Amino acid sequence: MNQTTVAPRPISAEAAHANENRKFGMWLFLSSELLIFAGLIGAFVLTRRNAFQNGLEWWEPNAFSLALVSVNTFILLASSLMVVLGIEAIRVDAQRKLQRYLILTAILGAMFLGGQAIEYSLLIFEEGHSFADPFGTAFFTLTGIHGLHVFVGVLWCLMTLLVARRGTFSSYNYTTVEIFGLYWHFVDLIWVIIFTVVYLTN
Amino acid sequence: MANTPAPHGHSSAHRKHTNPVLVFGILTIATVFEVVVTLFHLPQNVIVPILLAIAFVKAGLVAAYYMHLRYEKWIYTAIFITPALFAAFLIFTLAV
Repeated sequence: MNQTTVAPRPISAEAAHANENRKFGMWLFLSSELLIFAGLIGAFVLTRRNAFQNGLEWWEPNAFSLALVSVNTFILLASSLMVVLGIEAIRVDAQRKLQRYLILTAILGAMFLGGQAIEYSLLIFEEGHSFADPFGTAFFTLTGIHGLHVFVGVLWCLMTLLVARRGTFSSYNYTTVEIFGLYWHFVDLIWVIIFTVVYLTN
Repeated sequence: MANTPAPHGHSSAHRKHTNPVLVFGILTIATVFEVVVTLFHLPQNVIVPILLAIAFVKAGLVAAYYMHLRYEKWIYTAIFITPALFAAFLIFTLAV
């Protein structure tokens, strides 16, 4: 299912070496990000424990918010699948398929952010939470920084899509897509932990 | 030509990858299981370790099969697994 009109050309040894370095750098970056999120999740758990011990007000997700966040989790997992399928497509030079999967990834990422916006509006305007209470401080900081990562991921996805539309990527040259994929999967991985810690172990 | 794996700079491209749809199915089922388990209102000291264990397994699946760590060079695994173990220990110790 070759959709390219020009046969892909192998890249030079120097370019391949540069690609390896970029991937190495991305893994180092993700490792540091992992520690940042570990600190934020730890801070959330400690704040919650402190609130319980001191009898302070805390939040418990109701059926609607649990359903909303479960759907959001499904959306993010599905977006990760789209990225994997996109990378598999470019490995066989299916450029159009890659573009379609990147579009789907961006749409699913935007849907996740939309779900988060609904959740925030319910918490702030209906339940009256804010940065002033312990729950609000811990919750909005943790999920807000994760949401910011998703937002950056959506922008990155769209930029990768723009490059893909120029026909830059091929089975010999797709490290840029792979590196974006690493970032996106990492955001998904972090959400898997946040979902359990914040919403299910309350 | 269409099925030629990329020969340069893509060490993960040379091995057949696990079906990503299967991994997605496992992740979805595990998520549904997690949500259903919380509906039974089990004691916290029972349910929290179970949920965290499932979450860490899910995160491991994402890292191994979606981020292709299972097929990549060992150095990437070493770079990522070191802080991941620390993070898992920190979260598990605080949450349980």
